[in-house]
Amino acid sequence: MSRPIDNTRRGFCDGLMNLARERDDIALISTDSSIISGGLKFRELYPERYFEVGIAEQNGVAFASGLASCGLVPYIATYAGFLTMRACEQMRTFCAYPRLKVRFAGANGGMLGGNREGVTHQFFEDIGILQSIPGFTIVAPSDGGQVKKAVEAVADVDGPAYIRIGSGKEPKIHSDDDIFELGKASVLLDNGSDVALFSYGFVLDRALDAAERLKARGIGAVVVEVPTIKPMDVETITATLKRTSCAVTVEDHNIIGGLGSAIMTVSGERFPSRIGRVGLRDTWPESGEPSALLDEYGLSIDDIVGTAEETLRLN
Amino acid sequence: MTPDKHAELERAARGLRRDVVTMIHAAKDGHPAPSLSCADIIAALYFSVMRVRPEEPDWPDRDRLVLSKGHACPVLYAALAERGYFPPSELATLRSLHSNLQGHPYSRKTKGVDATTGSLGNGVSVGLGIAMAARATKRDYFAYVITGDGELGEGIVWEAAMAASHMKAGNLIVFVDANHYQSGGKVEDISAVYPLAPKWEAFGWHTQGIDGHDLEQIVEAVEKAKGERERPSVIIAETKKGKGIPFMIGDNSWHKRVITDAEYAAAMEALKDEA
Repeated sequence: MSRPIDNTRRGFCDGLMNLARERDDIALISTDSSIISGGLKFRELYPERYFEVGIAEQNGVAFASGLASCGLVPYIATYAGFLTMRACEQMRTFCAYPRLKVRFAGANGGMLGGNREGVTHQFFEDIGILQSIPGFTIVAPSDGGQVKKAVEAVADVDGPAYIRIGSGKEPKIHSDDDIFELGKASVLLDNGSDVALFSYGFVLDRALDAAERLKARGIGAVVVEVPTIKPMDVETITATLKRTSCAVTVEDHNIIGGLGSAIMTVSGERFPSRIGRVGLRDTWPESGEPSALLDEYGLSIDDIVGTAEETLRLN
Repeated sequence: MTPDKHAELERAARGLRRDVVTMIHAAKDGHPAPSLSCADIIAALYFSVMRVRPEEPDWPDRDRLVLSKGHACPVLYAALAERGYFPPSELATLRSLHSNLQGHPYSRKTKGVDATTGSLGNGVSVGLGIAMAARATKRDYFAYVITGDGELGEGIVWEAAMAASHMKAGNLIVFVDANHYQSGGKVEDISAVYPLAPKWEAFGWHTQGIDGHDLEQIVEAVEKAKGERERPSVIIAETKKGKGIPFMIGDNSWHKRVITDAEYAAAMEALKDEA
């Protein structure tokens, strides 16, 4: 099913501008990344709260921790890997450990986000890296409208928060009236209790389409969006597993360390179930047109349908 | 500086040094020599220079210190205890389970610690953030940073140095505790961190060089730095690692080492106040 195109980067900017209009403690840090964050508008309206540090992410993040230690709530947006890899230690030791309110937006999340750029600009490890750091809130919204709501929702959480955004061309999943509740998973489509499809982010459209294709093949799938990866909505996930006892996770992330790993952990501890994982299969992708790239690297609708059928056959 | 004030600061610095060796002797762990090299800078800051309210540690208008060389925290903890942020009896708990005094500074546990540090090289960057927060919140405090010389090998220091000068961070004052040693040996033998002054000058900083054990020079250098409103300031303080305890100077095994009872007695003898 074709869907209108939304823009997660614009969602970030809109949410931030809403916050900055209401509150004078909101700051924005640019690492020469104003194109990603829409920062020029912010700079124009709030120059005293806009900080350009140049192409220097480690400094940008440690700098943010200094601002936050004085009561400001700084947002910093740049490519996901330049934050979670290059500045990983600053995110951990100087933001998470002292529980400072620094908010990160990681762009080009997943291989889709970086599509034509190739591996250096495709970041499919960000969620895995951050999940292992204590006290990080991790949100991976599915479209621009949800990003906007997430940017506002994380403003007051204790400790640091990370929001995954994309390239700015993502399928629109939600209507503007849809509620986003931090920490909650929600059912987007309920075609039955045979298998649960847990998904998030910019491949959610594929999970929804796969559910319809499964329905045509006589399999009832329930699609659950899990936009908050941490803290995980263990209750909803456990309840869903109790209903289906079979699940497939669908994500634009390495299958190691992402939602698949997290759901398997919940299942292992709460309700052992058959679980299949759809995602990047621990390999390096390449440059390519977005849709073809996902199809090539294990995230086609057929891959989801096939994994669901295989997982259902497990005993 | 009046002779009385000078004598008072010297006494305070000697007291901090005694606290440092006492804490590390009791903990049987810690970094004595790097703490001692910056004891005079810490004494000048907490007993003369910095505008703080120990009874109100989170006072928004206070000056802040980022101890980038976080392993020297025993001397910071000693100064905070002496200034009344917490009882001096807590110093004996350094590095122990449930202590407020972590092995490296942690802002969430220790009253008066303005920034979590310990991973080297990050302090200038954190200090710059603190300095710029003053601008955003229209306050007039100063952000002080003490960095080692060895940790200037970290690239983030120079990222922050560029940004600070670009932002015209006149309320950022960085001390380099230039004791010429790092964990593995002499700084000059390990990398080309030196010469320091031309590097900082090239990055656009107001640069001074002083004797880091001369309390009068330390205080005067800060006064000069405060007068620079359009650019950040660095004070390169020539120091001796282990200063105050003759047997530690020139012996880099005191970077991190357990102090035996006999060494402790000798150290305390060397640090006695004159009658």
